[in-house]
Amino acid sequence: MAVVALQLGLVARGYWSDHKEFAFQMFPESSTWRADVVRVTADGRRVPIERAWSGYRWDELVQDRGLTYPSIRHHADAGLDNQLAFLESALDWVANNTPRDDETRYLEARVTSWHNADPPRVEVMRSGVRQGAG
Amino acid sequence: MIARFDDLLGRAVSMRALALLRVLAGPAVLLHLQPFLSHGWDGRTYQDGFYEPYAAWYPELPEAVYVGLLWLAAAAAVAMSLGFLTRVATATTFGIVAYNLFLSTTHFHNNRAYLVIVLGLLAVAPCGRELSLDAWIRRRRGRAALDTSAPAWPLWLLRFECAAIYGASGLSKLVDPDWFGGTVTWQRVVRARDELEAWPLPDWAVSALTDRGFHTGAAKFIVLTELFIALGLWWRGTRYAAVWVAVVFHLSIETSASVQVFSYLGIAVLVIWAVPSTRDRVLRIDPAVGRHRRWGAVVRRLDWLARFRVEPAPTGSRMEVVDRDGTTIFGAPAVVLTLSRLPLTAWFALPALLHPGVSRARRAGRDRITAPVAAESPMGER
Repeated sequence: MAVVALQLGLVARGYWSDHKEFAFQMFPESSTWRADVVRVTADGRRVPIERAWSGYRWDELVQDRGLTYPSIRHHADAGLDNQLAFLESALDWVANNTPRDDETRYLEARVTSWHNADPPRVEVMRSGVRQGAG
Repeated sequence: MIARFDDLLGRAVSMRALALLRVLAGPAVLLHLQPFLSHGWDGRTYQDGFYEPYAAWYPELPEAVYVGLLWLAAAAAVAMSLGFLTRVATATTFGIVAYNLFLSTTHFHNNRAYLVIVLGLLAVAPCGRELSLDAWIRRRRGRAALDTSAPAWPLWLLRFECAAIYGASGLSKLVDPDWFGGTVTWQRVVRARDELEAWPLPDWAVSALTDRGFHTGAAKFIVLTELFIALGLWWRGTRYAAVWVAVVFHLSIETSASVQVFSYLGIAVLVIWAVPSTRDRVLRIDPAVGRHRRWGAVVRRLDWLARFRVEPAPTGSRMEVVDRDGTTIFGAPAVVLTLSRLPLTAWFALPALLHPGVSRARRAGRDRITAPVAAESPMGER
């Protein structure tokens, strides 16, 4: 009974959680998204992540969940909330896992998303501020 | 009520369907592990790129140990399918596949979650006592075979999970106006129009598939199909139809989307809806007739769920099948009924049960059972 209750709880949780684990909401949306992701340096420059930096490449650091080429408009496979939660986490992960980079203060994504047939929505996401940049 | 429920879950039933599912689950695990193993072979693991742990306390292993663990899972999956040290192999497979799933939010996909559920329930069910090397080794050593029945609760739980997946998916679409109204499928198809035009489809079909009005109806059909599968599996009268529709559903998804092991696993799990008793149908063949002998051999080979006892009939007899309820049918209808009860041929043969000739034969078979009973009771009581 505990497993049944847990499964039903997880199905219900899928209606508000980003990643919808064990909620089995298949092919939930036709939503799409794209993002211009830049590194904001200590001196205020905004450098697109399509350019390699300090020996790092975005498309090598982020190879999963459809995030490799964010500037290209993609389908949000598991829904927009899921996709944008992953993008936000990826910004933080890259900010925290590029120790040779001593010029980037934070990463920023200007995201345009289209929820199903709704008009586009624009939002800005930022990673945490890196310590010791510049 | 609680006592009846308790009795239902605790009653000993055949584990044959779970044993067959165990055999089929091994390839699903290998397919699932393939990209992880391939990356590991090239010296890459999840730790080399973006990943997001569910919890800071969740243990992470050094890369070499992690890759070694994945290879151990692959070996355990093979052992699980073969039924060698079945309990340990299945538990190991489950443990590693589950560990890997929960390493990162980026590892999560619905098909992987389903695989973990299936493996978890196979690990707790004693499903290695048949269709296994363990059973074969036991026989070779002259030891008595272990009881192949066990309490039913893992089977019921897996049935619940199986139905819940279709139900949850269908319900989420039913309550979403964009989905139920057809917007989601229409947009997906329109965006994939280039791929659609590459298929060998006539222009009118492409036009229909990309027409907004078509999707207003098609989306409802998809949602109701999922809900029909979820509910239809529970009732004997609709179960075969639900299984048949579920196979079509999975094959359609496989041709139109990338869903990793979901289609294979989804179809494989359908075997658990077989009634959990074995050898309760009889196929009688005339051993003097070559055609009958060959048919008996085919049935023995393909009867993976152990539905039939194949018995010799007196010389000159027609081939006959005695169904679970005592209905006896002969000749071609008997062949159709047999094929409809074998896992590999069921999908093809089930529609043939609706053929008037087969329906008539089954009705006549049932009448033959009820006629003597009716004769004993002039009031028609049974």
